[in-house]
Amino acid sequence: MLALVRPDSWNFPLFLHVLGAGVLVGALGATVIIATRAPALRSLLVRTIGFLVLPAWVLMRFAGQWLDSREDIPGDPSWLGVGFIVGDAGLVLLVVTALIAWRGLRHPERGWHVKAVAAISGLYLIALFVAMWAMTTKPE
Amino acid sequence: MDKYDWLLFLHVTGAFLVIGGAVMAGIFNFAALNRERPSEIAVLFRLARVAVVAIGAGMGVTLVFGLWLVHNAGYDWGETWIVLALVLWVLSNAMGGIGGGREKQTRQLAERLAAEGDAPSQELSARLRDPMWLALSWGSGVVVIAILALMVWKPGA
Repeated sequence: MLALVRPDSWNFPLFLHVLGAGVLVGALGATVIIATRAPALRSLLVRTIGFLVLPAWVLMRFAGQWLDSREDIPGDPSWLGVGFIVGDAGLVLLVVTALIAWRGLRHPERGWHVKAVAAISGLYLIALFVAMWAMTTKPE
Repeated sequence: MDKYDWLLFLHVTGAFLVIGGAVMAGIFNFAALNRERPSEIAVLFRLARVAVVAIGAGMGVTLVFGLWLVHNAGYDWGETWIVLALVLWVLSNAMGGIGGGREKQTRQLAERLAAEGDAPSQELSARLRDPMWLALSWGSGVVVIAILALMVWKPGA
């Protein structure tokens, strides 16, 4: 019932955190769709990751940190840990994905780049879904 | 985890489908604006159909579990943020529905032109840049963000 009694000062960082996460989910979804259904559109793939996926991750992660500093949550609850792990590991995965997509643009004769981008992006989407479940239901 | 947590999780899942779908549609529509060949535009509009499915499913899920949440949490049905959110939900659906209809016609035109030689077309270009279609499509996305803001700030609660 935390949402029912949330202080006003948490609202703006929460809004940015959720907005960033939503844009990240959409941009990653578009990345998976392009990579699996229109793999020839490699420049669109690279631009989607560079101009939307990575900036959306930054918005989600930094707004989340801002929110965490406002909430000052006691202890180290597992749901918050899941959020941090998925968020921080995501940066590594997304940077690797961006580099693979960029290499794929320079070597269009090779197909594995696009398949790898689809696989990593799809896996990270699943991880984000798990994090979203943890952060909304807050299991003990 | 109690019932409220599960309802909130399902409601937020729906919201992510809507926001994510809107972002996907925006990516494909924006990419189509920068293309001339009808075959490329047709491919992008076919990809956008996945986004339309996500938005439609998300809109349904957010409404069902949102109303259930209001009942479960004991909010007053007349609270400003609930009434405004419902009005904006209807508005967003109406704008997206009308814009989606025009999008379908544009995709069909692009597919026909692609089959007839795939030459750039003034008619297709004009349809892609139609201010009414752009306002409806992008406007429905802005309304979705306004609903998200209402859900966070809950004015009048």
